[in-house]
Amino acid sequence: MTSERILCPVCQVAFPLKEEKVPGKRVVCPVCGAVLVLEKGDASWVLRRPQDITPEEEIRARVENFARLRGYRFNEMKEPLIEALLKKYERYGDFYCPCKIDNIPENICPCLETRQGSVERNGRCHCGLFWK
Amino acid sequence: MKSVMLYALSTCPFCKMAKRFFESRNIPYNFVDVDLLPEEEKEKTVAEVQRISGRRAFPVIVIGEEVIVGYDELRIREALEK
Ligand code: SF4
Ligand SMILES: [Zn+2]
Repeated sequence: MTSERILCPVCQVAFPLKEEKVPGKRVVCPVCGAVLVLEKGDASWVLRRPQDITPEEEIRARVENFARLRGYRFNEMKEPLIEALLKKYERYGDFYCPCKIDNIPENICPCLETRQGSVERNGRCHCGLFWK
Repeated sequence: MKSVMLYALSTCPFCKMAKRFFESRNIPYNFVDVDLLPEEEKEKTVAEVQRISGRRAFPVIVIGEEVIVGYDELRIREALEK
């Protein structure tokens, strides 16, 4: 029984994966909610982002998972924000925060400040996607 | 009438709500979609936003002397009335 840590390629946090390891298995990152696929790398198991779903399916699943993990809610701003995240993806290659200028890893949705509790502090994330 | 300046991103829904707020009330305002500026101007403007708000996130609204970080309708109203 190993519970070695495995790196999430979205939020860059390593988390313990206790489940049985099967190639191709879907895993949800417990930190950011990203849907990931388990693969056998050269030396160890790795997680990759799924290639068989659309960007829209990927970001929708991720924000749903994150909201469920944290107990957050959505409101009518959800659809405009999904659209905005997809625009960021088209323009800059990833789901960077629609309300921040810097297209850098810590701003990939759900961004670092949100993962560090900004919703608890402010009642919502900066963009208004996640609400307490 | 106080001067109103809105620093926005073209992708940010709260920025669009701020534009709608001023438009629906016929409040004259200036705005800039910072992400659509040419590179050099973008950097200058982001530096200015960071100087006045301490952040690199949007919207930032300047009403007279007051700097409002994020979309806060109550504070916008109060700043306009002051
Ligand atoms: S502020 Fe909200 S919408 Fe923007 S990246 Fe962070 S979590 Fe996502
Ligand atoms: Zn993650």
